[in-house]
Amino acid sequence: MEEISNFPLNPEPAEEETLQSQMQESTPDRKSMRTTKPGIKRLILSLTVLFSFIIGFPFLWKSIEIYRAPLPFDRIESFSSQLESDPLHFPCRFQAIFVGFDFSASRGLGPNDVAAAITHKMSQLNPNSLRCGNCGGGDYDVSVVIDSGSSCAQTEGSEARCPLKCGEVVFGGKLSDEDFDEMLKRCLGNVDGGGKGYSVVVFNGDKEEGEVRAVVGKYRHAWVLGHVSEDEAVSRTAEIFARVFMNGGNEGNSIRSEFMPVGADGRIVLSFSLLNAEPQDWIYDWSFHEIDKTLLQPVIQALQPIANITVESQVLYYTPKSSFSYWDDIHGSHIFSTKDLPFFLNSNEWHLDTSVAAGGRSKVLQLVVYIPSAKECPLQLELPNGDLSKTNGFISPMWGGVVVWNPESCVKDLESKDPDRRVISPQNLQKLFEVLMGQLRQLLGLKSDNLYVGQSGAYILLGSERGFTEWELDVLSGKHVCFNLHSCATTLGSLSRLVQSLPRMIIIDEIGKQVKFSLEAAKFAQSYASTGIYNASAVSSRQARSLVENAFFHPSIMSISYYSFEHCFAIYSPFFLPVTMHVILAALREWKRYKQENRKYLAWKAKERIVS
Amino acid sequence: MEFCFLRILKLTMKVLVMLLLFLGNIKNSTAYFSSSSEATMHTNNWAVLVCTSRFWFNYRHMANTLSLYRTVKRLGIPDERIILMLADDMACNARNKYPAQVFNNENHRLNLYGDNVEVDYRGYEVTVENFLRVLTGRHETAVPRSKRLLSDEGSHILLYMTGHGGDEFLKFQDSEELQSHDLADAVKQMKEKGRFKELLIMVDTCQASTLFSQLQSPGVLAIGSSMKGENSYSHHLDSDVGVSVVDRFTFYTLAFFERLNIYDNASLSSLFNSYNPNLLMSTAYYRRDLYQRHLEEVPVTNFFGSVMETIHTDSAYTSLTNKNFGGAKTKTFLGQSFSSSDINSVRNSDDEDQFNNLTAEEDQHDEAGQCIFCAMDSGHLWSFILGNVITHESVDFFVCYGLVLMLPLLVFSTWLSL
Repeated sequence: MEEISNFPLNPEPAEEETLQSQMQESTPDRKSMRTTKPGIKRLILSLTVLFSFIIGFPFLWKSIEIYRAPLPFDRIESFSSQLESDPLHFPCRFQAIFVGFDFSASRGLGPNDVAAAITHKMSQLNPNSLRCGNCGGGDYDVSVVIDSGSSCAQTEGSEARCPLKCGEVVFGGKLSDEDFDEMLKRCLGNVDGGGKGYSVVVFNGDKEEGEVRAVVGKYRHAWVLGHVSEDEAVSRTAEIFARVFMNGGNEGNSIRSEFMPVGADGRIVLSFSLLNAEPQDWIYDWSFHEIDKTLLQPVIQALQPIANITVESQVLYYTPKSSFSYWDDIHGSHIFSTKDLPFFLNSNEWHLDTSVAAGGRSKVLQLVVYIPSAKECPLQLELPNGDLSKTNGFISPMWGGVVVWNPESCVKDLESKDPDRRVISPQNLQKLFEVLMGQLRQLLGLKSDNLYVGQSGAYILLGSERGFTEWELDVLSGKHVCFNLHSCATTLGSLSRLVQSLPRMIIIDEIGKQVKFSLEAAKFAQSYASTGIYNASAVSSRQARSLVENAFFHPSIMSISYYSFEHCFAIYSPFFLPVTMHVILAALREWKRYKQENRKYLAWKAKERIVS
Repeated sequence: MEFCFLRILKLTMKVLVMLLLFLGNIKNSTAYFSSSSEATMHTNNWAVLVCTSRFWFNYRHMANTLSLYRTVKRLGIPDERIILMLADDMACNARNKYPAQVFNNENHRLNLYGDNVEVDYRGYEVTVENFLRVLTGRHETAVPRSKRLLSDEGSHILLYMTGHGGDEFLKFQDSEELQSHDLADAVKQMKEKGRFKELLIMVDTCQASTLFSQLQSPGVLAIGSSMKGENSYSHHLDSDVGVSVVDRFTFYTLAFFERLNIYDNASLSSLFNSYNPNLLMSTAYYRRDLYQRHLEEVPVTNFFGSVMETIHTDSAYTSLTNKNFGGAKTKTFLGQSFSSSDINSVRNSDDEDQFNNLTAEEDQHDEAGQCIFCAMDSGHLWSFILGNVITHESVDFFVCYGLVLMLPLLVFSTWLSL
């Protein structure tokens, strides 16, 4: 580049001579001094270019910025840490009523002592009571009423009337369990006051009463009839509270996710299939519509808080099973054993998953009725101990259940050319559905049978026509609320980590909204749970989970569609790096030159001042 | 090789950023933690089978994928749990002498394109994006269930991929690349969301082992047909069809499974030991450091079959009595008297032995089917030339430092030109 300045650079040598002679005294050295002020035009120009670059930079930065809806990271953090440190608990009230006992006479115990004994026993039976979804979080609210016939005592704050007035028919009349259950509901219903109080009533009978009968009803109470000692009464009461009412009669007490077959969108599709293995032998049909109306709808209603259930059904032909069976003379039937069960499903021939109603993230539970061909009829399932199965069915967790149903007569009509069309009779169908209902209960993590054998004896669990008793639904709701909230918290955590790890990813408003609503729903679920409203809590927690799942699986989140910052830099730097370098250097150089020239001018000025 | 360049570019950019102090903090925290899945049990099996090539000369890749599809179906994974991604341009290709048929052996005993082939992603739907969507589960709402990988915490997933690959990438239909960190990222997200319990990744491509280098999620087992710098070769040429019909690695995998039926208990280690480097003409590589169980104890049907966990139903829920619906009070449910039928034949096992003729003509290999396309990637030649001068690993660093050195040169030259 050429050195240019305002100062006339190359004057004529002759002229220079004269100039020099003229200004001999005043300007001795042109190299160190100048008489005119240095121009600032070029400096201003180059600085303007530089400043426009600097000013333009934020605009560029803004223009290549991507839209990221703000996610409440701190709230997500606090939500999951709060869930971790303070597990969810439902408030429960337990009420033990002892009729015909006299603790004070035999043991010198008041009702408060009995309550303490029950509480102590309960915490022994339920060691990990701090687990999420449990009652009370360790300290149980137990109230005791002792009615010895002559006197009546109760703990303070107990809501039960004392003495218990519940008809005089308790012992005299022979009431069926169902009627007894209804009667207790009438008597204790007003006591409960609509809340979630669980009661156990122990009636002390005479010695000749025979064996002790312990029944858990279909509402929220249980009763023990017969001759029991005071100790036994206390331990039985505690066991019913701790094991049955709080744990659903299940031994395993962890939340197993395989027993939460609810889709991420809070829906279950129950798909009923009737499989005719060999339609040339016989073709069975069923009146599914009727079953749906009379048997299934109450169940769906009962499970409404836990999942949004839809039902569909199909009848399939030519669906042989894929495992083998053998003829057994002793049982007089074809036998398949439990170790063959994993291979029973013929996934190549059974086209079960034909649902069009099920959305992408719904859960489909297959409930299959298999009708064997004439060649392998009757088909029975043999248990490992050599007995035949009573139900002839099995489940596979998270998938569904299969029941083998044998026709009444295994003789094939050889004469007729037409297919032998039959319909399963209503009686048989109902029995079939009792098995299927047992399977559905198993799939949801409850027991299929109605007997609970505990430490202190066996308890009959009265069944409900809705498939699930009220206390079972409480247990299920509690578990689902916990599972949903935990799943929601972990998904939120995953989402926030994912979003933070991809700083160049667009986060559309929808995701932000879903996260916000999900957190709100989770808050609602927690507050409902703390006030003991199981259903609303289950519904809110389901919502929270499904919203956050939608956010996490939003199709716009794809790491491949977004560039990292390095990519962005690589794109823009070829445009700007070479130009910026020159602009900065030019501005620096101009600044330096101006300073230099200004120094010269100042030196001349100083000299002038001295001269003059 | 393109990816190699990209990485260098990225690295250089990082250095540049540091040099210029351009931006303070680049948050690149990919610290996921895996949720515990010890308590869950294995409940179902899924398979994702991907053929990433198209065009007639890649016939063998489609045959590979279809053969594996038949194998897993035979071993019990239902169609609704298999995601099959296939260019699917072979069966009806104008150059196919056997229309609507695909063979993986020159004896033409088994038509792989027989009945019941459910292709979920076909033709141009086989893209990196769709593949990653299948893995991560991020679909548009309209995508039907059959196209989704609906696995859960109890799922074992088999992921099989075949095509043309190179150092840390796998080409998708000659237009895109799946890079090893894309795969690792997708797997990490799957783990994070509990979309699998165990995952077996099986890749039959050149330099397959490089595709696993970024994986870091526990529960993942990976097996590739070749080490870094090795090619995967085809097994034999079918002179009728005119192209190679199967790759060596897949061929010997199928030969192993041909001996198995659904009840077999052969372990994964026996599968891995069955690969003979001399027959494969490459070294099968397996990465097991992320996998907790001992391979000797894991049956292959854990991934290639479908073994269900079953629980017997003890009793019916008898209290479901509804007076409106039949008044049956009989307690016995299935205790009817049976007429003792004279049919007591046990169903014979007539498993289709699909690959019974695979092992024939083992020693007949041909040069024509070699994986020449792998070598056709432009950068490969460069790395070969450079490899003579410098060792393979230092190439990256050499280029990186070269690029960094260019920066002062740029400044210097600008200064000079003043």
